Amino acid sequence: MVDINKLREIAAEVISRDDVRELIGYRPGTYGFRARPAFVTGPEEVDRLIFTPACVNNLATYITLEEKLPVPRGQEPDTRKVAVMVKGCDSRALVQQMEEKAYGRDQVVVLGIPCTGVVDMARVEARFPGVLELGEIALEGGKFVLSFDGKVEEVPKDELLADKCARCRYPTPLVYDQLLDDEVARFADDDYSDIEALEKRSMEDKWGYWEEKFSRCIRCYSCRNVCPMCYCEDCVLDRINPTWMRRSVDISENTAFHIARAYHLAGRCIQCGECQRVCPAKIPLMELNRKFYKDVGELYDYEPGTNVEAAPLLATFSVEDREDFIL
Amino acid sequence: MGDNTKTDFEPNIVAFLCNWCSYAGADLAGTSRIHYPPNVRVIRVMCSGRVNPLFVMNALQQGADGVLISGCHPGDCHYMQGNYYARRRFNLMRNFLEYLGVEPERVRMSWVSASEGAKWKEVIEEVTEGVRTVGPMDKFKRRQLNW
Amino acid sequence: MNGKPKIGVYVCHCGTNIAGTVDVEDVVRFAQTLPDVVVARNYSYMCSDPGQALITDDIEKIGLNRVVVASCSPRMHEPTFRKTLNGAQLNPYFLEMANIREQCSWVHEDSVAATEKAKRIIEAAVAKARRLEALDQKEVDVEPSCLIIGAGIAGIQAALDIADAGFKVYVVEKSPTVGGHMAQLDKTFPTLDCSACILTPKMVDVANHPNIELMTYSQVEEISGYIGNFDIKVRVKSRFVDMEKCTGCGDCASSCRQAGRISNEFDEGVGMRGAIYLPFPQAVPAKYTIDKENCLFLAKGKCGESPKCKDACQAGAVNFDLEDKMVEFKVGTIIVATGFDVFDARLKPEYAYGVYDNVLTALEFERMVNASGPTGGKIVMLERGKKKKKKKEGAEEEQPRMPGSVTFIQCVGSRDKSVGNEYCSRVCCMYTAKLAHLVKEKVPGADVTIFYMDVRAFGKGFEEFYDRVRREGVRYIRGNPSEIYKKGDKLVVKAEDTLTSTPLEHEADMVVLSVGLVPRSDNREIIDLLKLSQSSDLFYLEAHPKLRPVDTASDGIYLAGVCQGPKDIPDAVAQAKGAASAAMIPMASGKVKVEAQTSIVDEATCRGCGFCVQVCPYTAIELLEVNRMGWPVQVARVNEALCKGCGACAAACLSGSVQQRSFKDLQLLPQIQALGVK
Repeated sequence: MVDINKLREIAAEVISRDDVRELIGYRPGTYGFRARPAFVTGPEEVDRLIFTPACVNNLATYITLEEKLPVPRGQEPDTRKVAVMVKGCDSRALVQQMEEKAYGRDQVVVLGIPCTGVVDMARVEARFPGVLELGEIALEGGKFVLSFDGKVEEVPKDELLADKCARCRYPTPLVYDQLLDDEVARFADDDYSDIEALEKRSMEDKWGYWEEKFSRCIRCYSCRNVCPMCYCEDCVLDRINPTWMRRSVDISENTAFHIARAYHLAGRCIQCGECQRVCPAKIPLMELNRKFYKDVGELYDYEPGTNVEAAPLLATFSVEDREDFIL
Repeated sequence: MGDNTKTDFEPNIVAFLCNWCSYAGADLAGTSRIHYPPNVRVIRVMCSGRVNPLFVMNALQQGADGVLISGCHPGDCHYMQGNYYARRRFNLMRNFLEYLGVEPERVRMSWVSASEGAKWKEVIEEVTEGVRTVGPMDKFKRRQLNW
Repeated sequence: MNGKPKIGVYVCHCGTNIAGTVDVEDVVRFAQTLPDVVVARNYSYMCSDPGQALITDDIEKIGLNRVVVASCSPRMHEPTFRKTLNGAQLNPYFLEMANIREQCSWVHEDSVAATEKAKRIIEAAVAKARRLEALDQKEVDVEPSCLIIGAGIAGIQAALDIADAGFKVYVVEKSPTVGGHMAQLDKTFPTLDCSACILTPKMVDVANHPNIELMTYSQVEEISGYIGNFDIKVRVKSRFVDMEKCTGCGDCASSCRQAGRISNEFDEGVGMRGAIYLPFPQAVPAKYTIDKENCLFLAKGKCGESPKCKDACQAGAVNFDLEDKMVEFKVGTIIVATGFDVFDARLKPEYAYGVYDNVLTALEFERMVNASGPTGGKIVMLERGKKKKKKKEGAEEEQPRMPGSVTFIQCVGSRDKSVGNEYCSRVCCMYTAKLAHLVKEKVPGADVTIFYMDVRAFGKGFEEFYDRVRREGVRYIRGNPSEIYKKGDKLVVKAEDTLTSTPLEHEADMVVLSVGLVPRSDNREIIDLLKLSQSSDLFYLEAHPKLRPVDTASDGIYLAGVCQGPKDIPDAVAQAKGAASAAMIPMASGKVKVEAQTSIVDEATCRGCGFCVQVCPYTAIELLEVNRMGWPVQVARVNEALCKGCGACAAACLSGSVQQRSFKDLQLLPQIQALGVK
């Protein structure tokens, strides 16, 4: 577990630097067990920072999402660094963003937090419904310890753990300026068993499965908005000229939207699972992204978000690439 | 599927051909008066590397029953590398569409050089028959609006 | 787009080529129903003058601003109709063609289906035409100078032609002398001209021509730019001999401690040289060179008390402090004439080359037969690796003996899948006949046999020469030998005479392998410098096998000589003259048009990820910093002179910011819609 005082101390130190504009971390949410992002601009604000298994957000998305307001004439843009707290999965987003030249390594200060897993908030709320007062979650001795309404409940880890954590390969951040805890060794892998099971089903079954899921989509674009890799100024998915998919909410346009977004993330999705977490229609978006991830790994031996120097997957090729599907 | 609609079904296939190899090869089939089924309609691009895999998705969504991308043989691309990128992109897209329930017979790729008029005929025949077997594409067809 | 599109559709009958299958009237009626089509016509031959006049008239009278011609393939007549539009003051890129001949009427028998398909194709063409844009074909200036890489006969000929025409030529040759492989030859087939006699005058001309700057013992290290504007960097390697002072007297070479110890590349190892050397007596420039790998002073730091060459040189030309020089210049065009290597006969171990002394390659044999070669033109049995026996006091010098029988084996390393060379090397049948003739001439009574698969005597005077050689008593046996082994002091060639189905074990004193021509082992350097392609035989790829044998896919870069494919001297000279002429076209006109259908970046939406930069085969797109509302951001920008219009960047761009003119997403998507919707 991260020592909260050490975390706040380091945060205070970092935000006091002249060359750091802002620090993005976590603070308790507004109700229940939730946590939310914190945007700290001075050392006096660090007391609200936390890090618990409730800190599910991928803060890396704010680095690229930040709106750069037009600079008034005569003024200089504020190009100071941004500090950000990242778990293992989040750090891969930073690596991938830097691989795509979104910013230079010297423009972020990375506070890495080796992660022992976060909760699936839907499961927590199903287990303990109707909790409105702020509660806390901690991980102690292999169990999640939830404190709320004066009670303390212990739940075995695997019952509340987020699915993505059960197959996490990078619990320790891959890039950091400082590590806020001891390194955590990899403890799982993705065997893609659910993807493979779906692959084996008949064409009718597969389309039936996805048609049902895509029909629920309300085109809120939350998945696209929360994704750290989606930061184009004018996203093709909702562009009018040219129109790739219409904004109408029907099975045709919804399917096109999801195919297009998944393809745009091929070789780029770093598996943080935020899209699936925020989807109000509970569409299993990670089953789409992991299909590409699996193919990209098997066919081209490529893993996004692991090497800043790597060339982007679809901007490279090998003379030996498979072509047994080509006439 | 053994109903009448399938045997009367004429596939509508959209093809993207690269100017220097496949389009020239298709022209050669024409000059040589080699006959083949009329189901494939061609869009000319300069290089198979220009073809965005989302065109495949778009074509299927607009009503095409199948899509074919054809370019130069590896190593012979007029622009050196375009076909290598195309190969990677379409391998991934084809696998993904199959995962969603779109039959792989609908997403085809071929290497046809400027001297392969006879091969072009074979490609057309194979792709047309493949799409004919799996029937019309109606899985996420766009509602066309005619104002 | 200024105002609404006003589209004219012209459906060509092409005589009965189209009209015989496609119902052109029906197609025209259909075209008239399409939105924005203001006129639709049909005519028997649209490419003819009256056909083109229909278009011109409509542009002038109706104010058409888009034209769709439904006829043959755009690969046929796109340039024709672009000119038509240009002539009517309409930007030529407002043309879209619908291929209803090569890809419709000529390939479909069913009239109904063909007509229906023609309508779909035209609908797609109209959909694209609505969104076409006016494009400018930019012109760039062309430097009136040419770089020629390689100074064999092809490079020399090209250089002389271009220089005579008045343009500046830079010739860069890797070895210390010009002349290439032709300088190694003795007599050339079929005329038995002395190779050096016809070559050396040209070598001298190249060195002395006022318009030619010759850099020997030099290598091109960097090439960047595009046609008309290539930036070249050449490394002129140090010979450690001052070129101004060297008189070519040769005192240094005869005094060199290593004299006679180093295998002379020019003599294919049959002859030896020292560390300071002239490759051959007629070398141009006639300046000595020190081979720094084998020179005792340069490689080991010490040459006895003091280097003998330096002491011997009365002109004081030897200077161990001389360094490589880098030379930079600009040229408008480049000709690649880098020649070839011969096949490495060790790759056919069954022929025991390198095992037995008297199994030679044809090029080694050629050096032996050459009057200025290592044996003074005498054909003698070789004792390789053996040191010369010291002459006993008063004893006669041992005369090397001549072979009583010489056997040639053709197609070594050619027409042979097992070594990866399926092609025929084109020159070997004739040079074998020539060498066989020279044996008959120089070794009276010698038995000469040639094992062959076919005899290819296709050129001018070739068949006659082959007949002559056979009349002189050279025996041709049809059969590819399987093995060479030694029996006593004779070599035995194991083969089958396939015309009589007789297995043979043929004895000979000397066996000559007619090795084929292969691409140079260092050709990767040129490929990387110039982004050349290779054909399946690994020689450099020409732009079109029939109609463009001297061009490459890259404008401004041409090929001459064997580097493009095996050929003999007359063909190499012809191709060199062709390449020179092709290179002079842009240089003479002074300007060249660059591709108009290039890519363009919308800098407002570009996120600077660099996928397009990574993908571009021509480094025609780069990231640079711009100011976006006060913030410094990286965006991509296209160098339109370098861009060849492939569109790989446009497909790689996730934000749709990079687009290829005439093939933009907003131009292709309507085509897809028109064809997809039934």
